[in-house]
Amino acid sequence: MINRLKVLRAERGWSQGDLAERLEVSRQSVNAIETGRYDPSLPLAFRIAELFALPIEAIFVSPSKGDAS
Amino acid sequence: MQKRNPAQQRYVVRFIPTMFSYVLVLFAATYLIRFWHPTGIALAALAVAPSLPLLGVIAIMGLYLVEERDEFLRQRLVKAMLGGLAVLLAVLTVWGFLANGGLTDQPPAFLAFPLWCGAFGLVQCGMSLRDRLTSSTAT
Repeated sequence: MINRLKVLRAERGWSQGDLAERLEVSRQSVNAIETGRYDPSLPLAFRIAELFALPIEAIFVSPSKGDAS
Repeated sequence: MQKRNPAQQRYVVRFIPTMFSYVLVLFAATYLIRFWHPTGIALAALAVAPSLPLLGVIAIMGLYLVEERDEFLRQRLVKAMLGGLAVLLAVLTVWGFLANGGLTDQPPAFLAFPLWCGAFGLVQCGMSLRDRLTSSTAT
């Protein structure tokens, strides 16, 4: 799934490791989500949204809406 | 190298002594059967003894799957286990038919778990390689 995780993380100056620590997941998980290789579960998507204080749809692009740009 | 999470640490703490005990029990049982020539219950107990630590390893792997809190790692592990299972089924199917044709002996059943472990490891290596080739670098 296309998402803005890398941009949001970069805006805060966090490394993948920093974000992984805040989400209590592995760095591989963050990398896999950022590169679209893994779609997080709903609970993890909510954790991500709460961490960035944004609605889920501001981070993850609905597959039916296609391109993030 | 990345630090192990608590579930991975527990897995290693359980796995290493269990595999160590497997090697010890295997050598001891083989030695005793060969040189002591037991019969009856003693033979059955010695014959089955090496399988017990391996049953422990299967349980330890299952426990790790249950205890791993990272959903991505858990999903990867399940994928690799299924990949290993597919390889095992393919190898034993071909081997079994070759044996039916009289070309080889029937595959020994006790090889199933080690073969699955090997295939599981190879699938994990393949997945890691693919991830490395397709992932962005950590920033």
